[in-house]
Amino acid sequence: MNWFREILSVAISGLTARKIRTLLIMLGPVLGAAGIVAAVGLNESAKGDVRQTLEKLGTNLIVASADGTFSGGEAPTLPEDAVERASNVSTVDRVAGITEIGSLTVVPSEGGRDFFRTIPVPVLTSDQNLLEVLDARMLHGRFINGADENNYFRSAVIGQDLASDYQYLPGEVRTIDVNGETYGVVGVLENVDLVPKLDTAVIIPKSSAEEDFDIEQKPTTLYVRAIEGRVDSTADALPIAINLGGNEGVTVAVPSDLLEAQGAVDTTLRNILFLMGGLALLVGGVGIANVMSISVIQRSGEIGIRRALGHTKMTIAMQFVLEALFVGVLGGMAGVLTGIGVIYLVSSVLGWIATLNVPLFLVAGGMALIVSVIAGLYPAWKAARLEPLETLRLG
Amino acid sequence: MNNSGLQQYSPVDSRKTQLFQLRDVYRIYGEEPVAVHALDGVSLDIHAGDFMAIIGPSGSGKSTLLGLLGCLDLPSRGSIKVAETEITDLDDGARSKLRGDSIGFVFQQFHLIPHLTALGNVSTALLYRDLTKNEIQKRSMSALSMVGLAERHDHRPIEMSGGEQQRVAIARALVTDPLMILADEPTGALDTKTAKIVLDIFRNLHSENRAIVLVTHDLEIAEKMDRVVSMRDGKIIADDLRSERTDALEDRFWESGSGSKLE
Repeated sequence: MNWFREILSVAISGLTARKIRTLLIMLGPVLGAAGIVAAVGLNESAKGDVRQTLEKLGTNLIVASADGTFSGGEAPTLPEDAVERASNVSTVDRVAGITEIGSLTVVPSEGGRDFFRTIPVPVLTSDQNLLEVLDARMLHGRFINGADENNYFRSAVIGQDLASDYQYLPGEVRTIDVNGETYGVVGVLENVDLVPKLDTAVIIPKSSAEEDFDIEQKPTTLYVRAIEGRVDSTADALPIAINLGGNEGVTVAVPSDLLEAQGAVDTTLRNILFLMGGLALLVGGVGIANVMSISVIQRSGEIGIRRALGHTKMTIAMQFVLEALFVGVLGGMAGVLTGIGVIYLVSSVLGWIATLNVPLFLVAGGMALIVSVIAGLYPAWKAARLEPLETLRLG
Repeated sequence: MNNSGLQQYSPVDSRKTQLFQLRDVYRIYGEEPVAVHALDGVSLDIHAGDFMAIIGPSGSGKSTLLGLLGCLDLPSRGSIKVAETEITDLDDGARSKLRGDSIGFVFQQFHLIPHLTALGNVSTALLYRDLTKNEIQKRSMSALSMVGLAERHDHRPIEMSGGEQQRVAIARALVTDPLMILADEPTGALDTKTAKIVLDIFRNLHSENRAIVLVTHDLEIAEKMDRVVSMRDGKIIADDLRSERTDALEDRFWESGSGSKLE
């Protein structure tokens, strides 16, 4: 016990006696560990906002669309009672359908017709529960309601991006021109991350659409929320339930899958970054071996006198290994902290969500420690082999 | 008394405790035909209470002898016993322990560890002996007191004069209570006045239980020692007590062209 306490204190005093050199030796593990933590951490932080969106949106939304078979060449639609059929699937929680109306021109006002003609704007009707199914919210105003449908009101809800394009001011009384008919904007729909096409769309009541544009009320797309954990089986069942004759003609997609893929950390990139950090650590290790070897030469007098005082080769070697161990522990810790600092700094500048991976800290710190100790072995061996007679210059 | 032809390898009273025994020791560097015979069949006994100098010109083998006496080196041939233990049979660990327990070193260049205080330097000699921190501190302070430096215990070597540094080195040699203090040109880096102080300390440390061995060029210092071993060409040419000496030490090396100091 005394032996260990003494050798620890000798190693520490060896390091503290030459602070600048110790700091220089420590740079290796600091930069290596910081490199690993920062590189991998930043890669994860860059995806953090996507993952946060996913958490907010949920991963149980399924989109079922017609792919053309039902309508025989015209705009592809689903059967008229598709919503009801989909609701019959036991793992379906809620369903809303929309009908996209093609070939309509939308401009913000009659006077703006020439200027805005080139911008295509999808016009659609939807079930009144669309917001509930999509977990979407109104930015201003209200959604299409029963009064609009029953009274053939020419009301319109527009997407947030379209409102921005049309320079719509919150609360302002505005109208838009849909194929020559004037509709009053009753609300602006906040952007829907999972269904981005709604962000630039105009949603009008089914009754008005039928009267003004003579369209069939067959849905083109269904938005389905499945019971949590039953997304895949629901997605499999939906085409059969909707088609009733087979699964042709209905395409299902889970939009969160795409987001999930975007949000997933690219493992190849992550491995490359990890490898680069490891490489930095390796270079740091070579630096440690180098500086410590020079240090052994500079301290040969001290080593010689210690040997003359009866310290064995083993204790001399242990002294240097312990010095390397301290460098590794302190350097690794400082490196991890530096890496965390870099993650927070870069994330705050770029608006990312700083993601901290605690197991990675342990790996990076541990690697710094191991590399340092291995790098210290050669100088330790060299120190132990120094002959006191040569270093003390007798006579 | 010359050791040639006699079975006695010390001029001192043979009833005294024998601490070191060298028999027919050779130290040869390199291989024949270019081998250098630094020590050429040296036999020597050192007893408790010896206060002796080893003198000789450069290349006479005295530094080699010092290395062997200090268990810092092993002979090419021959036997070296320290308190009955044959050092050539020991591994590094055992030899280091024997060295730490039996021998205290004092060097011309002091060889203090620069980042340690006087107390730290003295304490270094007591490390790895399973002593408590308090014991180490107490014994180190006591050794510093013996050389009159207790009040300077927290000073670093750079803050001390050459004489004070050498006294710290002596305290370090002394703190383990060794059988022999082996000093290599201990006054070589000091002025005359300081050298005298250091020599007086050695004289005071000299006791019936301990041998003090000085390796020196300086014949004036050697003249003050009780026993003088004279070396030339790797051999001991004379080993005598001051009381029995009939010739002047200087004359032994006159052929080498040296004056009062051997070069």
